[in-house]
Amino acid sequence: MIAWLLPPLGLLAGLMLGAVTLTPAEAWSLLADPTQPLGQLLWQWRLPRVLAAGCVGALLALGGAVFQGVFRNPLAEPYLLGSAGGAAVGATVALLVALPLPQWLSLPMLAFCGAWGATWLVLALARLADGTSVATLLLAGVAVAALLGAVRSFLMLALSDETVSLQAVLAWALGGVQTPSWPELAVLAALTAAALALCLALARGLDLLGLGEAVAESFGLPVRRFVALAVLAGAFVVAVSVVWGGLVGFVGLMAPHLARWTSGPLHRGLLPRAAAIGAGLAMLCDGAARALLPPAEIPLGLVTAAIGAPFFLLVLAREARRG
Amino acid sequence: MAEAALDLRGLGYRTGAAALVEDVTFDLHPGEVLGLIGPNGAGKTTLLRLMAGLLRPFTGEVRLHGRPLPDWPARERARRMGYLPQHFAPHWDYTARELLRLGLERGGSAEGLEDVASLHGVAGLLERRWSSLSGGERARVLAASVLATRPGVVLADEATAALDVGQSLALMGRLRMAAREGAAVAVVVHDLNLALAGCDRLALLHQGRLQALETAASLAEDARLDAAFGVDFVRVRTEGGLLLTARGGG
Repeated sequence: MIAWLLPPLGLLAGLMLGAVTLTPAEAWSLLADPTQPLGQLLWQWRLPRVLAAGCVGALLALGGAVFQGVFRNPLAEPYLLGSAGGAAVGATVALLVALPLPQWLSLPMLAFCGAWGATWLVLALARLADGTSVATLLLAGVAVAALLGAVRSFLMLALSDETVSLQAVLAWALGGVQTPSWPELAVLAALTAAALALCLALARGLDLLGLGEAVAESFGLPVRRFVALAVLAGAFVVAVSVVWGGLVGFVGLMAPHLARWTSGPLHRGLLPRAAAIGAGLAMLCDGAARALLPPAEIPLGLVTAAIGAPFFLLVLAREARRG
Repeated sequence: MAEAALDLRGLGYRTGAAALVEDVTFDLHPGEVLGLIGPNGAGKTTLLRLMAGLLRPFTGEVRLHGRPLPDWPARERARRMGYLPQHFAPHWDYTARELLRLGLERGGSAEGLEDVASLHGVAGLLERRWSSLSGGERARVLAASVLATRPGVVLADEATAALDVGQSLALMGRLRMAAREGAAVAVVVHDLNLALAGCDRLALLHQGRLQALETAASLAEDARLDAAFGVDFVRVRTEGGLLLTARGGG
């Protein structure tokens, strides 16, 4: 129930918060009258921005839920696993290198390849050690994320020139939702809906995988093929979120956890709730990012990290106690 | 004898240079409980995983109801074959109902869940989470989930390893019940007396090879048993049958 309340709450907070903070009544009357200058601003800037943040949050949550399911690890998360970092490297190349492809195509494609490659790298490193234990996976993820961060910084320094603003790339790397036009928002919303459908199609397999590979296989799940497919789907979801929202950490960790507390571990119930919680969280954090230091904006990634890092430590402590 | 539910022909498996299972051939029949016994490292678990299709043999093949295992569609095979692992620890804290449902759904639907639960004595546990169940309750819930589709072949890998004597006997009882309903059951058993009491036939493995395949009563008297385990067993005759105990070392 709480899961479904978060998106409207986040939407309301997102509409109220910003350089000019509004009361709910003011926000409502401005939305109702788009002829006023402030009303226009709300319709053209704040509302699409808030909704885009919601989509990015939902995508991060879905990516986190799928990766937690695939890796059978409650600390797996697009940001910590390096898959978001991989997407960011791909996207940086697309932004800074003159490619024979138009950028609207090369950006998501390279982001997807980066996310996919990084996730496989972490999976392979973890398997080389001792499978998918919490510690191994985290260490492999940290190492890959650090490497990818270095590669991205190098690319930014080596390739940026007067034609590309380094600040723009940097702001995006710190995590921040760009304000889309309404047609752009429609594309993002459609991709988010497709991502939800794709993840729901994986739900039963993720449930079975939670029983361990041997039992999952004996219950009819072709484990290797399924993991390959799920990593592909997860990389797609993460790539879309990174293209629109940059590097935003911890939403993909928190949302699936909160969803699991409300709905239990079965993915059919978990995935939509995680998406709703992720959307609500991202809208709230994005509102805070715009309102804390007006007229400047704090990168969204900093706000989510401020909330998410303590949450991460809490989950880590719980896992350590469980052994 | 009835047609074999599972037949193994010249089965072999190796890792690197080491042969873990070599040239194993036997049939598993509906209605019987067959125990796989042998010292540690004899290849029991590897053989069971080969039988379950979790490992691919290097040589030979396994046929389920006359059809090679890899030719079965995954779902069909899953419905007809149940596998009880040695250690089972779900990664998420499922409720007993959720676990039962996942087991039942391999048959295509989750209908009759309550009936399966009462049959296996877990009706009162359905809403409990895995982390809150005791060892014996966990064994019952897992068995219920694996046996939910009434599979024709049931393979259990030292499923009694973490259980106390009462719980072990209860689990063997459930496997016996499945056999009475027509399932062919193969179970890896560490405890020889449990194997003697609970199994119809015993397959003795040593260094990856099948050393003997006899009725439990006759293998109990067989010197190959002592040779495989490297001990002289003392055989004590009781009202309930033969009991084996190892002669004290030193």
